[in-house]
Amino acid sequence: MISGSRFRTIFEESNKIIFLSILACSLGILTNIQAIAQPPAPPQQGPVAITGATIHTVTEGVIEGGAVLFENGLITATGIGIDIPTNAEIIDATGKHVYPGFIHSQTTLGLMEIARIQESTDLQETGQINPNIRAQVAFHPASEHLAVAAVHGVTTVVPAPRGSLIAGRLAAMMTDGWTWEEMTVREGLGMVVEWPAMRNTESYLKDIRLLQEAFDKARRYKVARQAMKDGAGVHHPHDIKWESLIPVLTGEMPVFISVGEIKQIQAAIAWAEKEGLQTVLVGNRDMGLVAGQLAEKGIPVILTGVIAGPARQWEGYGQAYKTPLQLFEAGVDFCIAGDMGAASAYRIHHHASSAVAFGLPEEEALRSITIRAARILGIDDLVGSIEPGKEATLMITDGNALELWTRKEMVFIRGRQIEMRDKHLRLYEQYMEKHRQKQMPE
Amino acid sequence: MNRTCIPLLFLLLFFSIPQSKTQTARVEGLRENTPGVFVLENANIVTSPGHLLQEASLVVRNGVITALGHNVEIPADATKLDLQGRMIYPGFIDMFATYGIPEYQHEGPVYWNPQIRSNVSSALLFNPDREKAAVLRSQGFVAVHTMPALGLLGGKSSIVSLGEGDASKLIIRQDVAQHMAFRPSEALGSGYPTSAMGAIALIRQSLYDATWYTEAHHAFQMNPVSKRPETNKTLEALAFSRQQSMPFVAEAENEQWFLRAAAIAGEFGLPLWIRGSGHEYRRLGTIKKTGMPIILPLAFPEMPDVNTPEQAINVSLETLRHWYLAPENPATLTEAGMQVAFTCHGSGKSFLSNLKTAVERGLDKTEALAALTTTPAALLGIDKHYGTIAIGKSASFIITDDDLFANHTKIEEVWVDGQRFDLLAGQEEARGQWTVLSGKSLEGARFEIRGSAGSLRGSIHHNDQQVRLTRARYDGQRLHIIFTGDSVGLSGVYRLSANLSENELLGAGELSTGEFFTWKASRTRPHAEERDRSEKQLKPLELPVRFPSMEYGVSRMPEQPDHVLVRNATIWTQGPGGIMENADLLVSKGKIARVGYNISAPRRAMIIDASGLHLTPGLIDPHIHAGIAGGVNETGDAITSETRIADVMHGDNVWIYRLLAGGITSATLFHGSANPIGGQSAVIKMRWGHLPGALLIEDATPGLKMALGENVKRMSERYPSSRQGTEQIMKDAFQAALEYQTAWNNFNQHAGVIPPRRDLQLEPILEVINGQRGAHVHAYRQDEMLMMLRLAEEYGFTIASFEHTLEGYKIADELREHGAGAVVWTDWSSFKVEAYDGILYNARLLNEVGVLTSLHSDNTQLSTRMNWEAAKTLMTGVSEEEAMNFITLNPAKIMGIDHRTGSIEVGKDADFVIWNGHPMSAFTTAEQTWVDGIKYFDRDEDTRLQEEMIQERALIIGRILELSRRQTMQNMRERN
Repeated sequence: MISGSRFRTIFEESNKIIFLSILACSLGILTNIQAIAQPPAPPQQGPVAITGATIHTVTEGVIEGGAVLFENGLITATGIGIDIPTNAEIIDATGKHVYPGFIHSQTTLGLMEIARIQESTDLQETGQINPNIRAQVAFHPASEHLAVAAVHGVTTVVPAPRGSLIAGRLAAMMTDGWTWEEMTVREGLGMVVEWPAMRNTESYLKDIRLLQEAFDKARRYKVARQAMKDGAGVHHPHDIKWESLIPVLTGEMPVFISVGEIKQIQAAIAWAEKEGLQTVLVGNRDMGLVAGQLAEKGIPVILTGVIAGPARQWEGYGQAYKTPLQLFEAGVDFCIAGDMGAASAYRIHHHASSAVAFGLPEEEALRSITIRAARILGIDDLVGSIEPGKEATLMITDGNALELWTRKEMVFIRGRQIEMRDKHLRLYEQYMEKHRQKQMPE
Repeated sequence: MNRTCIPLLFLLLFFSIPQSKTQTARVEGLRENTPGVFVLENANIVTSPGHLLQEASLVVRNGVITALGHNVEIPADATKLDLQGRMIYPGFIDMFATYGIPEYQHEGPVYWNPQIRSNVSSALLFNPDREKAAVLRSQGFVAVHTMPALGLLGGKSSIVSLGEGDASKLIIRQDVAQHMAFRPSEALGSGYPTSAMGAIALIRQSLYDATWYTEAHHAFQMNPVSKRPETNKTLEALAFSRQQSMPFVAEAENEQWFLRAAAIAGEFGLPLWIRGSGHEYRRLGTIKKTGMPIILPLAFPEMPDVNTPEQAINVSLETLRHWYLAPENPATLTEAGMQVAFTCHGSGKSFLSNLKTAVERGLDKTEALAALTTTPAALLGIDKHYGTIAIGKSASFIITDDDLFANHTKIEEVWVDGQRFDLLAGQEEARGQWTVLSGKSLEGARFEIRGSAGSLRGSIHHNDQQVRLTRARYDGQRLHIIFTGDSVGLSGVYRLSANLSENELLGAGELSTGEFFTWKASRTRPHAEERDRSEKQLKPLELPVRFPSMEYGVSRMPEQPDHVLVRNATIWTQGPGGIMENADLLVSKGKIARVGYNISAPRRAMIIDASGLHLTPGLIDPHIHAGIAGGVNETGDAITSETRIADVMHGDNVWIYRLLAGGITSATLFHGSANPIGGQSAVIKMRWGHLPGALLIEDATPGLKMALGENVKRMSERYPSSRQGTEQIMKDAFQAALEYQTAWNNFNQHAGVIPPRRDLQLEPILEVINGQRGAHVHAYRQDEMLMMLRLAEEYGFTIASFEHTLEGYKIADELREHGAGAVVWTDWSSFKVEAYDGILYNARLLNEVGVLTSLHSDNTQLSTRMNWEAAKTLMTGVSEEEAMNFITLNPAKIMGIDHRTGSIEVGKDADFVIWNGHPMSAFTTAEQTWVDGIKYFDRDEDTRLQEEMIQERALIIGRILELSRRQTMQNMRERN
């Protein structure tokens, strides 16, 4: 899904013109993209201790005036009065706050540079059944939007392929690094399934048959290959698609099913249960209408688009903002994802904090973009909180990280202190220099 | 009204009468001389709405009523018809039809735009259509006002009779009214105009052109040495119609279009009849005030689908309310005293049943009849001959078996100018009980025929047993019956058919043995509609009035208290006062009276304790596109400065309420960015509940939208297709505007000169050049903005603002020097190539360099949280007060409304928001939003409204379900 706001812009600027002469523009882009950002940070050298800060561990409460010590990219200690090695670099963060890096669990970041330029996006493969696709191999380390996310504390992201019934496999990526390979936090997090639209029964049933066939065929393939492995004396050639579905069939890899309206939510739940799959639902406001059932079934939810208008004329102006509260009160295991746009990945915290404006407890908002997300994605052993043993992927801020005015002063990803520069700052400085040269008032 | 063609009317009337002695057409073959003299006796005659002559007689001679009353002398040559107490009503006249007008119209117009066709005369196009005439007659109509409804000004209407005969005999009056519509016909091409605002602009321009045409030709006659003005049949026809005060008939899709049409009529002094939509009740007061006659369709909305919960939640309260209230609209309008005529436009064969529904829902029967007879006859100027039953009038009436408005009543005959049409022919009633009088083994059997007329069912009762018929069908000629006789003491399959007359079946049959026989049956019980008498009449639902008639609509316009005192707030004045803690604000009669500390409350002041709360000026969004009807862009041309957003605003847009909930009190509504020079913008306040006209801030600086870059150049097959071309076409337009001014100066200085044509396209451009109208220029890249600055400087005007201005930071110095404002997003970038260099620091740098900087949304949803948009600029280093200026004072300056709003300063309008925390905190929302000292949004009130809406939805959905249940029961009864 393309972020709604993005589409609306294009629409409102001109409701008739949607497409652009791509040929005419692609040349310009290529040159533009090559003028890239600052270099990624080197690996952590010696131990680092952040002291005197308010540490929002997320899992172990808030430590006032405490310290975080990390070494070789991993947190080794947190708390008050911990032993700090003499060779440690000490960062005095008195009066500052330390938070785990934010996790954006549904984005196009790294797979899209300019929305309207097809050549700059790698989101969708031909055909409806693409379980073999691996999102991370097209993750573009030079994307300008990565640094923007990183300097705003968005350290871990899940770029999501889309546009097919089975769109491919998800990976968690870090937002700073030289290659996609070293930026991969964990691959094979889940299999993207886009539940078909249910407006037209005929086309819906056609799509469901396609989806079902894929799973049935993969199951037959699994049996046959197992027999082959077990030495049954039969040979079955490798099938690149069905091979990739095996971890889903065995329950090792969850399906991430995108759903919209209630009909889709309930149909997807029933299907996944029938297939015996481990399931995560990805959807928006109508999740609130079935919150009780989601809680009862213990199905985790990635909630997209908290910042949005009402879908129906009678809905309250705050309906979308209130959905996290509805899920929380019903006891649903949920996390919040921001809008899909690559350029807006940086503002994931706003989706969480706007839910606070409509009743979600502040600590739950923070958890919904850190530890809750990490757990649903299955990366909570690595990131999502400030705990010894986890990666030192965290930030120092000058205030409440959920507030829009708060500045992120330092960001560490796996202990590496990243340079706090992005395209925004670079162009700002460049053009301030222009105006300085022209002796304009500062 | 023009009565010059009345003598002609007489002639036409007599032409149309069979056996007329006078006609111009040559007779082919033998002459027909059938007498046309009838006396209709024992009739109950409604001679005109509200007047009943009981048991009277009516004499028709050659199409004209010659006698009427109780003791009329029966002419010796008359054929007698005994009506046995049946009713006679005047025939109906449909005020809006396209009957007999071909879709493809040969007589083309000559105006440059094919949508303007005022020269087209329906009288020349009219071609009677027997089938359609029969459908219209089946609903009681004898004459229609028919128009060439193609294009925006489609041409001239005619009144035609629904009798049979040649076109020339059927036309009662020609060139009666001019047609007007606001939806361009695609059949005429997909070029300009593509939008509703373009349609209005084109209609206005052609009306001005018509005026000019007359003046120009007059000037030319006076001074033949000048250049001969163009000869144009369309403009000539339009000008002539206007000189004759010919009425216009405008098609208004809803009540807002009604008012837009009325506004055009006001501007040009047009006599206007409006073909309405059924939505008029929603703005009854204003609609009525226009004093314009309405031609009302009786097309009611279908029952909303609420069968499943997930379908039901997708149905809006607006839809539910309209479904319930639409059938009351005719009663509402007539009770209000509006001049109403009905049309079957949109309802077709359901017209009569809808008319009965409207009567059930309160429409007075006399008013209903008047809306179909005397009112249209008077408006159309044919009341001397049509509309009532009286001596000397056309014999055009309908005969019914009972009170016209009763549910079971049928129209049996329609007489059109003395021609008699029997509506029951081929409609024989097969339903009822039939007893077989003769027919072999069938003798004594009873057939019970049920079902609906189109789908019969039944059973045979014989030898004290019964069985269902396998088949029962009437095909218009014969009744077919098939059944298996074994369970009623017969054997095998019986195949029967019969001629059906009122009380007798004369049939043939064949047994399964192959034996052929004849049979006869007579009706032993007539068909009676089966209704469950236990079903009570449903009580009317108590729905509150709502403005607009939808979700969150107000039942009463919110009132302005004399004085409001807000106490102990943190007041962000955005003026010299700065941010004042624990301060008070006094509002008197909608204006800010005092800002300070410990202000004492005037008597009867409304007091708000705002301890711990923040108060800011109402937020202002200088760029949205919400609530614009019929297209945001006029894409039919590159330069569309003649279009005006104010023409097409619609206030019944729930987003106005949602914007208030986000603290927005003012905004600019812009034309889109498909055009180098687009339309004129509208600056509004969010006065929720009011009509669009009342939203406008009238003393705002008028604005004109312009656009550069990708959006304008990628419109296929239209100049420009490059940024360079964009510069040239704008320059060309500016130059043309100056030439236009020169032409007027020349005209004003020299007598006898042919006047220039008033040009709605060039006038606003000239206003921009002359500094009377602000240019708001959509732009992304620095190069295009710099080009625009230089172009403006060449023509001596200042750009009011660039809109979006993504690369504004690259040329902030140039913007400042020129004096252009910059309207920017906080963080939108990279959705297209020209947006790739958008940066978060844009607002900060522009502001720092000294450019008047404002945030905007360009997106109705984003606009509901402009405080959060401003908050994001704080992290780039903008101060709190400056960030607040970005969404209050600065946009007010750019829009030219800072003398009215944008800061909390004495004398300004009391537009303010009370927030439940720091206005830029991500955890804060608006508690109350005030516009002009009137509270339009209140969080607690919103909670109450939401509960009220749940109840109102449930109430209407309950009614739908009850009606569905009754319908199901009825169907079941008919089936059994």
